Amino acid sequence: MPELLEVSDVVAGYGRGPAILNGISLTVRPGQVQCIIGPNGAGKSTLMKAIAGLLPVRSGEIRFGGERIDGLRPDQILRKGICFVPQERALFPKMTVRENLRMGGYTLRDEALLERRTEAVLEQFPILRERAHQHAGTMSGGQQQMLAMARTLIVEPQIVMLDEPSLGLAPQIVQQMFEIMHMLRNRGMTILLVEQNAIAGLKHSDWGTVLDLGRTLFEGPAPEVLVDPRIQELYLGRSAAAAA
Amino acid sequence: MSTNLDVGNVLDARRQHDSSLAREKRAGRPLYVPIVLLLVLAALPALQLIGGYNYVLHLALYTMMYVAMASSWNILGGYTGYVSLGHNVFFCIGGYFSGMLLAYFGVSTILTAPFAGLAAAVIGFGIGLVTLRMRGPTFIISSIALLMVARILFDNWHFVGGANGITLPQLSLDARWMKIPYYYAFLVIAAVTVYTSYRIKHSKFGLGLRAISQDEVKAESAGIDTRFYKAFAFAISAFFVGMAGAVWGEYLTYIRPNIYLVILVAANMVLMCILGGKGTVAGPIVGTVLLVLFNEFFVATMGASELNIMGTGIIMMLALLYFPNGIVGTLAQKRRLPRFLDWD
Amino acid sequence: MIDILQVLVLGLALGGVYALMASGLTLIFGVMRIVNLAHPIMILTGAFVSYWLFTLYGIDPILSMPVAALVLFVIGLVLYKLVFAREAASAKYSEMTVLLTFALAMSFDGLLGALFSNTQRVTTPSYGTQAIFLGDLFIPTAQLYAGIASFVIIGGLMLFLRYTRFGYAIRATTQNRAAAQLMGVNVEFVSLVTFGIGLALAGAAGSLVSFIFSFFPAKHWEWIAILMSLVVLGGMGKLMGTIVAALLLSVIAAFVGTYAGSTWSTMTFFLALFVMLLVRPQGLFGDRIEEA
Ligand SMILES: Nc1ncnc2c1ncn2[C@@H]1O[C@H](COP(=O)(O)OP(=O)(O)OP(=O)(O)O)[C@@H](O)[C@H]1O
Ligand SMILES: [Mg+2]
Repeated sequence: MPELLEVSDVVAGYGRGPAILNGISLTVRPGQVQCIIGPNGAGKSTLMKAIAGLLPVRSGEIRFGGERIDGLRPDQILRKGICFVPQERALFPKMTVRENLRMGGYTLRDEALLERRTEAVLEQFPILRERAHQHAGTMSGGQQQMLAMARTLIVEPQIVMLDEPSLGLAPQIVQQMFEIMHMLRNRGMTILLVEQNAIAGLKHSDWGTVLDLGRTLFEGPAPEVLVDPRIQELYLGRSAAAAA
Repeated sequence: MSTNLDVGNVLDARRQHDSSLAREKRAGRPLYVPIVLLLVLAALPALQLIGGYNYVLHLALYTMMYVAMASSWNILGGYTGYVSLGHNVFFCIGGYFSGMLLAYFGVSTILTAPFAGLAAAVIGFGIGLVTLRMRGPTFIISSIALLMVARILFDNWHFVGGANGITLPQLSLDARWMKIPYYYAFLVIAAVTVYTSYRIKHSKFGLGLRAISQDEVKAESAGIDTRFYKAFAFAISAFFVGMAGAVWGEYLTYIRPNIYLVILVAANMVLMCILGGKGTVAGPIVGTVLLVLFNEFFVATMGASELNIMGTGIIMMLALLYFPNGIVGTLAQKRRLPRFLDWD
Repeated sequence: MIDILQVLVLGLALGGVYALMASGLTLIFGVMRIVNLAHPIMILTGAFVSYWLFTLYGIDPILSMPVAALVLFVIGLVLYKLVFAREAASAKYSEMTVLLTFALAMSFDGLLGALFSNTQRVTTPSYGTQAIFLGDLFIPTAQLYAGIASFVIIGGLMLFLRYTRFGYAIRATTQNRAAAQLMGVNVEFVSLVTFGIGLALAGAAGSLVSFIFSFFPAKHWEWIAILMSLVVLGGMGKLMGTIVAALLLSVIAAFVGTYAGSTWSTMTFFLALFVMLLVRPQGLFGDRIEEA
């Protein structure tokens, strides 16, 4: 299978601070849900920020469809087809739900197309339709997350990066998030997912990658990663003895 | 990619990674440097025995005054992270407090300076309780507004002479010795300020202040009474500026709003700290010496005061852009700081 | 009764000019978190442009407004590139920009002082000394024109922000810079242009200032505190809030000036600032305290 996104030996950090990503490599194959797990502070969010162009890459390269994208601005990377939904959801609190969706299509210069897609999303998510004129900042956490994920549909990117979409949500809402995620995938988008809840994340994924100290430590098909005893001990919070 | 994964190795590596992010601290300070410096400064007036060195004494006195003011500002602006652009209000309060006592009761400002400092500190504490509720830019704005309010008040307060101020009696000394008492007064004020600044930096109080400058919310949740800490830092930092103001008035022989309440005085304090290194003990001293020399050079070559303002502004901009940690801060970062400047 | 109406009208006209003076400041703070202490000296730079165009070529200051705006727009682009672009990544950014713009204000203050000296100047178009009477109501023509021009420009600015694509980008960047970036807004470019627009507004305000106030370079220190009070009162970066604060305070200041003397009318702004800090630190219209 051809690689869609290829991260090779990337080193990155914040400002003049120490490197947070220490030569990380990772490949993303088209059509999959790929889950990245790792302890707090491992650099998962940092990796996504580096791919999205929010953080400069100090060395190494990132290729998308064979073309180098490191060094591009975030808006250029978005235009190439990579959409990032960060941990903080990135909504505009003082804009309405509808305006937020339209901002999602800021890069579309075709007004008619933008309007059509906005309508289509509102069609798909009745809750958002109901609240189309409410300010995004006044919605619940789950609704905000739904809005942030639904918004990616407006640009129809090739890759959607989701950073902890389940953060702070009730269990049944989490389930809903994963359903939306699968819906995005069924639309032909490739998903790169970071999950703090590793078990749930891996269960909904095809491929699992374990990240620590800014490097890829281990990866494999998600079901295998899920039961690997070393992973269990280090990151899933079960002792080796119990697993053995 | 599948690296060989061993649990012990990963945990070890994580520990190493963590400790490499921390830095070790050098120990040992060359005490003789400040002592020699003090002795030299104390002996400097002896120059008058061999000739007229009033200009040298004036420069030294002026430098020591600003060393005291910049070091004092540094306690609030450097350690605590609250940049005040209106700190000369306390310079003014000190000046008027002692100046009025001198004008009406004939008591030397050198004697009343500590009380002037106290007055400035009390007022500073009160003002701090209000303005320190704001963080970042809003605090800075409020400090400028404070300066404007003070200017309007003093310009219109007839009891203290309004915009014309008040002339103060002069000492009946020969011109040659005229500067000596003030010289020593400023030497003592500067020395005490720098010593206090040093002690604060190495105290639990100072640690609290620095915690506040890093992250106030976390400092508060760590049990620091941030409101009191900040207001107290404000008071201390007003105290020494007030003392300096007290003696400065008598030295100039008059008190007037436009010598105390001009923004250039506040700008000087800030710039000196930034040039030398905000938040370091030695920084304000280095910065003051540099800026005074620069100003002298500028005035001597260009003369015009407008150009002086422009020059000060441009230097400040360049320092902020290319040298935000100042001389002491930058050298420390590169671990090139000579030991006699390392008091942090 | 007519007295009260009289003061009210004069306060509102002046308030319009203050609103225009503060609007660029608010815009710049909103988008870039730059507290532009150099804004008032930029207004004065605009005033000097109009002053010289009038004095040398007899061009009416209202007509030379676009010229002043353009000059300041260009100065804004250059300054942003030279001074602010590289700072945007630093952690203590917002605090740093206060010091930077403070230094910038000093530099320009010194420069203008050296070039034109600190003597009082005023542009004197023919309507500068005229007045309109509406019944018993007396309105100096200059203030009336300046007020109207200000409201027109502010109205245009609001329409621009509300209905254009670039306006959307500016508002998005103001509300959530990182999010705007992720939506494909080139926030660096938006910042650059917004800084230019902010200073252009200052330039336009300067043209008006040149014939309603007598001015000299060092005057900007007083305005710094006044304009900053308006921005804080309006809730840091909220355009509508700043405009309302400007109108409200100008009217109050006009009353204070009429009944207590002009010295104390300036004081209104500062006292309002401190009272606000005590009772409602987020400003009249702010919903939370912005931190750097
Ligand atoms: N804006 C920032 N500036 C400086 N350092 C940062 C910043 N954001 C994160 N870091 C540091 O980078 C490291 C990795 O952070 P990152 O957010 O990538 O972790 P993560 O794997 O996403 O963790 P979590 O599961 O908690 O979200 C941490 O040590 C953190 O302190
Ligand atoms: Mg994270």
